[in-house]
Amino acid sequence: MSTFDRSQPPVSGPIRSFDFPEVERRSLSNGLDLRVCKLSRLPVVSLNLFFGAGEGGLEESRAGLAVLTGDALEGGTVERSGSELAEALERIGARLGVSTGWEGTSVSMSCLADRLEEAFGLLAEAVLEPGFPDDEVDRAREQQLAAIRQRAMDPGALASMEASRRYFAPGIPYARPQSGTVESIAPATRERLGEFAAAAYRPHEGGLIVAGDLDPDEIEAMANHRLGAWVGAPPEANEFSVEPAMRERRVWIVHREGAVQSEIRVGHVGTDRATLDYFPLSVANMLLGGTFTSRLNLNLREENGFTYGVRSAFGFRSRPGPFSVSTSVGTDVTAPAVREIVRELEQLVEGGPMDEEVAASRDYAAGVFGLQLETAGQIASRISQLVVYGLADDYYHTYRDRLRAVTTADVVAATRAHIRPAEVQVVVVGDAEQIMAPLEALQLGPVEVVGVE
Amino acid sequence: MSQLTIPVERHSLDNGLKIVLSQDRTVPVVAVNIWYGVGSRNEPTGRTGFAHLFEHMMFQGSAHVPKNKHFELIERAGGTLNASTWYDRTNYFETVPSHDLALALWLESDRMGWMVEAMDQEKLDNQRDVVKNEKRQRYDNQPYGDWDERLQALVFPQAHPYHHSVIGSMEDIDAATLDDVSSFFRTFYVPNNAVITIAGDFEREGALELIQRYFGEIERGDAIPPLPGDPSIDPLIGETVRGHVLAEVPLPRVIMAFRIPPYSSDDFAVAEVARGLLGMGRASRLYRRLVRERRVAKGVVTYAFPLLTGASLMLAWATGYPGASPEELEAALAEELEGLVEAEDHEVRRAIALTETDLVRGLERVSERADLLSMFELYFDDPDRLNRELDRLRAVTVEDVRAFARKRLGPENRAVLIYEPKGSA
Repeated sequence: MSTFDRSQPPVSGPIRSFDFPEVERRSLSNGLDLRVCKLSRLPVVSLNLFFGAGEGGLEESRAGLAVLTGDALEGGTVERSGSELAEALERIGARLGVSTGWEGTSVSMSCLADRLEEAFGLLAEAVLEPGFPDDEVDRAREQQLAAIRQRAMDPGALASMEASRRYFAPGIPYARPQSGTVESIAPATRERLGEFAAAAYRPHEGGLIVAGDLDPDEIEAMANHRLGAWVGAPPEANEFSVEPAMRERRVWIVHREGAVQSEIRVGHVGTDRATLDYFPLSVANMLLGGTFTSRLNLNLREENGFTYGVRSAFGFRSRPGPFSVSTSVGTDVTAPAVREIVRELEQLVEGGPMDEEVAASRDYAAGVFGLQLETAGQIASRISQLVVYGLADDYYHTYRDRLRAVTTADVVAATRAHIRPAEVQVVVVGDAEQIMAPLEALQLGPVEVVGVE
Repeated sequence: MSQLTIPVERHSLDNGLKIVLSQDRTVPVVAVNIWYGVGSRNEPTGRTGFAHLFEHMMFQGSAHVPKNKHFELIERAGGTLNASTWYDRTNYFETVPSHDLALALWLESDRMGWMVEAMDQEKLDNQRDVVKNEKRQRYDNQPYGDWDERLQALVFPQAHPYHHSVIGSMEDIDAATLDDVSSFFRTFYVPNNAVITIAGDFEREGALELIQRYFGEIERGDAIPPLPGDPSIDPLIGETVRGHVLAEVPLPRVIMAFRIPPYSSDDFAVAEVARGLLGMGRASRLYRRLVRERRVAKGVVTYAFPLLTGASLMLAWATGYPGASPEELEAALAEELEGLVEAEDHEVRRAIALTETDLVRGLERVSERADLLSMFELYFDDPDRLNRELDRLRAVTVEDVRAFARKRLGPENRAVLIYEPKGSA
């Protein structure tokens, strides 16, 4: 009955070309970079307001203050209490969120298109006229302190935090948890939040990105109306250069008595977003640990059954972020899993990838880029990256071509430049009594049990 | 208020496979989504967790697709894929650039028709290890990670199919055999127990031809056997049942759950609105009262499970600050839940407005459209229900919510699960 050969995968149909949607760029008089992208699929709008109030600009004693200030924006404005602000937004179905990172603060909003004007007015009020009432600031601070406590008992969060501390030299912001520590958060008061916002919530070199069912002229008018009087630049950021904590390979164990699994991080300082190796490194990471069929996942999960999953990632930031392999494995296979991770890094750097792997990763990365441009929110956050990292306007129009141009030789050069198996720090959160001796037997380097900070 | 107009077209094959098509050619992306009418509720005693383990085996190859080839081909095409197992169903899905629709259909059809031929003991042992690590990672090594298995055991009677969790027990996962894999496949993974949805950029006639070509020769299976155990259940728990866990958790947490009408009931919409009113957004009742005003909770979560079998489950949880008394947190949570008998109209409208934005935003993604359409077809033979989702919610009145609170949220229908940090007792 079958008139076709089931044993052969079907051939692809003709490719429908698809470009990154057109973005209109307009500058507001206060230096805010306005970028508007009209999409007409559904009556929704997504918006990001970005400005340079980031954690990377803070000295250690104020670590977490930018995060706390962003979270405390929901505490209301000079005219509205926190509850009134939330009610005004949610009554019209608007979702407002604030996320604060190393580079800055991003206030994002989604709503139905016919509610944009009202919702945008509320967003502007929340950012430009924050009230920071005492009880709301106290609450936000207590929440953040409780989250710090939660983090210290969550094995995955604990491992990532310890890894940052072991990858980056002391004193570099990236070495510390983004949301700060008990010591840096406990003294935060409404005055400190108010001072920080007054200085750092400034439009210069920030961006307003709006994507969805909209009229660009109306957006410009709306932005001028609501944000036109907002002026100034954030203070010069706390400059720092990134150094590794050490170049000697070592193993650090954070003891959790009776843990049934070990959380593992293996890595070191990576590179920055502006690196010329961005595309070859992205391809290298895909085939190492960025997809299901990556070397690490096929080895640790599909061959050995050590884990539910393993991944590797470069954290590309304005300055060099981490390169890290992450997984959690059964306690009894901790040492074999670490051995396999280090071996995979060595094999990739020494032996290089096969042409077929490079082609597969390149195709995956190029294809999946198009898949991630479906929603207004996805498009808005892509455009935001251009503003945050100062990338060229046509960056996404050439993105896939640049991925497809990556050769095996490019990948070899990039991995040799940016992955250094002899310098990795191995962080394991697990039951030290069971994993210490097997980890020592691997002879990767000195093994030390450390306390939680 | 907006009206949804997602196109919906229904077809079926002679072998019983149901088909839903929903075209949207805006971007060159297409989603393929299959729901099988089998989940943890179909697992007999001694085989808990098997439906989920079986889902893993579905990625271990089939007669014409070697192990890992499914992932390899979809990733090579620049697509994404996954699967998930739940109480009433298991779903499998791919999103691919639209010129590779045939690839996704071929892969799904091969495992629907010819999966068992490719199974062996080594693959089963490997995935058993993977699943046990999944359980360790997500349940056993995670603060509060075992809450759902504890809660299900409290809310549903021993014999009810929802008494046990989707992940199951380590012993039962260990006990699974290759014969179990074959018989589960022949019993449940049959075209007459499945829905396939294609959503996004495709050509209609071509898509139907492809489905016929790849799935048409798969044989219809027998009728699906009745659920094991006893699915009948009283609408209310009848008392307050309790669980108290002294564990390595950072903060106290009180989880309260209630039996509610099943997803198939008209009254389920009231539960959805009630849960939104209580815990969705920062103007929600629990956030405003417990987090913002009284500051007894660090965070709150509410959820209404869309379950089919006899009754479903609504929960509300509150996480306290360090050193807080779980009893006081419980009392505060109970007070707010019971206070819903005096819910106000503006609260109902706010909950519906937020749900509307979330639904419309979800529908921006063809994968989400396909998933909802498959669900509505499998559960209700009515994929077009997607376009009426908002009407269903908008019909809920403040009187409905008050009556729901009176009947459902009191102490005679309550399960309370308390996590208390070790060392603080």
